[in-house]
Amino acid sequence: MKEVIVYNALHKSLHGRLLLEIESLAIYEQRCVALSGRNGAGKSTLMRIIAGLESPDSVTVTYEGISMPWKRACQKMRTHVIYLHQQPYLFDRSVTDNIAYGLRRQGLSIKDISRKVSEALDWAGIAHLQLRNARELSGGERQRVAFARARILSPRVLLLDEPTANMDSESREQAHRMIKQLKEDGVSILLSTHEFHTIAHLCDAHFSLQSGSLHPQTIDRENNDRKIIPLG
Amino acid sequence: MESLSAATAESFRLLFSGDTALWVIIFTSFSVSVRAILIAAPFAFLVAFLMAHLRYPGRRAMIAGFSALQSIPAVVVGLTVYLVFSRSGPLGDLQLLFTHSSMIIGQILLAFPLLVALSHAAFQAADRRVWETSVTLGAKPAHAFFTLLHEIRFGLIAAFIAGFGRIIAEVGCSMMVGGNILGYTRNIPTAIALETTKGEFSQAIALGMVLLAMALLLNGLLAFFQGRGVMTS
Repeated sequence: MKEVIVYNALHKSLHGRLLLEIESLAIYEQRCVALSGRNGAGKSTLMRIIAGLESPDSVTVTYEGISMPWKRACQKMRTHVIYLHQQPYLFDRSVTDNIAYGLRRQGLSIKDISRKVSEALDWAGIAHLQLRNARELSGGERQRVAFARARILSPRVLLLDEPTANMDSESREQAHRMIKQLKEDGVSILLSTHEFHTIAHLCDAHFSLQSGSLHPQTIDRENNDRKIIPLG
Repeated sequence: MESLSAATAESFRLLFSGDTALWVIIFTSFSVSVRAILIAAPFAFLVAFLMAHLRYPGRRAMIAGFSALQSIPAVVVGLTVYLVFSRSGPLGDLQLLFTHSSMIIGQILLAFPLLVALSHAAFQAADRRVWETSVTLGAKPAHAFFTLLHEIRFGLIAAFIAGFGRIIAEVGCSMMVGGNILGYTRNIPTAIALETTKGEFSQAIALGMVLLAMALLLNGLLAFFQGRGVMTS
């Protein structure tokens, strides 16, 4: 297994309280890792740090075997790591424009953008929604747009913050299918969840975030109907 | 003093007969105020964005300051600009007093705090995910900023309209720094004030109707954009 990004000695304090104290966290190529923990344990903060959206107090980052300072690592992460919020934000514009957003920042030609967007719409099964304003979509449809918008940029790592929370079973199954396809496409996935079902179906490894540090957990693939009840 | 009905009838005639003197006044008003708001708005939006997104000492005092300055009397701004640009003032050598430039500067100073305060409220109410989503999709800070502007555009347009409404109708500042010079710095509010003191109401009523129509239009637009400015997830 090849390591994509490794974070060593990651520390983060919030309002004078040590929130994260992680010795080592490695994200491997084409692996799906689950992150669980009580509400307020720091899962979202950890994911936002990995995405480069928030700065840690201290960390050592190694990207594809090359050690680099935080600022440079941030630039790498913004190109290769995509973070999806629990409720993904869709811009107040059409589905097509939402999906094309990242590609337009890369300076691709209109023809290439159009072709890639068309492929992404087909992949997510939302071609019929392409001209609709993304704000008018249902929760499940929004999630599909967000996945398509992320996939089109071919990220190395995808960070999913509770991607199936508050979803009905049909939407959840659909999200599971898309996450599996992303993994098959070669994307490494780190997802935070409270659901054993999601972990058992999608993940290769499971860590629990307790008192700021990561603890490996076993994945019970036989008995996964239970939900992890948040303690916070 | 002419009768009110005769003055009103004459005002309609002036408005629709294309009276040059009247339309020069209307043009001056819009020319000055549009330039002032177009100069003030981008800087005000940038200041508001920085106030909403950065944490630095004195930020709260700055927010409170801009909020308080929203209601600064136009004559006080006019007096300040007058003193600065008068012959004995620090910038007297520029000879800007009683020109469009001094009127524009005065109106910028009037509109700026209002633009900052209202657009700051829009930036503060914006969803944090807008910025984060832009950045995580590879946008550079400048692109993310323009995406954010687009997402809160209705709030910003409302601020823009409110700022324009404030300066198009102000009389104190324009009178003091513009000098109410016929065919040059005389604008709608200063002309109304002058014609009223002269007892010649027809032009004052005609200009008043233009201002009233403008006020109604601006308030209609303001209500429309404020209503649409509600952020959804």
